[in-house]
Amino acid sequence: MSRSGRFAAWWPGGADPGEGHEPDPRFTFANERTFLAWSRTALALVVAGLGIVQLLPPFPGVPAGRHLLGVPLIVLGAVLAIVAYGEWVRNQRALRRGDPLPRSVMPWILAAAIAGMAVISAIVLLLSALR
Amino acid sequence: MTDPAANEPEAGEPDETDRGLALERTSLSWTRTAISFAALGGVVLRENVITGVVILAVAPLIWRLGRLTGSGSSASQLPIVSGTRIRIITVSIVGVSLLSLLVAVLGPSVPGALLRP
Repeated sequence: MSRSGRFAAWWPGGADPGEGHEPDPRFTFANERTFLAWSRTALALVVAGLGIVQLLPPFPGVPAGRHLLGVPLIVLGAVLAIVAYGEWVRNQRALRRGDPLPRSVMPWILAAAIAGMAVISAIVLLLSALR
Repeated sequence: MTDPAANEPEAGEPDETDRGLALERTSLSWTRTAISFAALGGVVLRENVITGVVILAVAPLIWRLGRLTGSGSSASQLPIVSGTRIRIITVSIVGVSLLSLLVAVLGPSVPGALLRP
């Protein structure tokens, strides 16, 4: 794929902005609300990460414990916002072309990240309790 | 086979297909997003005043972005307005995340602040 083609893939109209037809405004609004919901989830992750690093008491015996839990959450918030934008573009393009909506990877990313964070939390707590 | 008329709203019931309601729901969603930015700004403000004020200042801008497609906007304006504000909010969240990361890594912490009465 050419450089301009890769850039166009992140644009709602694809390579040609006039491609397809303008979808029903209700669908455009629904797509926008979904993006906003993911954006709020991303912001919540950033708040949670910041709260863990700044406000939680240190874990005895695990000096980097708070950063180990908080920093990935903040990074995940940024990643989620970028992926949400990509999803919005893909959905909007499918709506314009009249194609079926593509499958979303967002729930998978979030579920995997939460499971990973749960495992890291358990390890940090166990290490802290054993020392 | 279903009767197409069965999907039509009864008299006196709100019409769920009305664009006005979709616009209202989307506008409320933008307001909630702006409140989320303000909440994050409040958290950061405790640790770093300048960064907190910057994030707090983003909140009214996000709220204003949500009001751009008012009832006076035509359908032809929708994709342009919609695409631009979606990109703006994505850049804002990534920027705010980076600022928060800096505050988390470099800023002074208040250990145990959650446990204090």
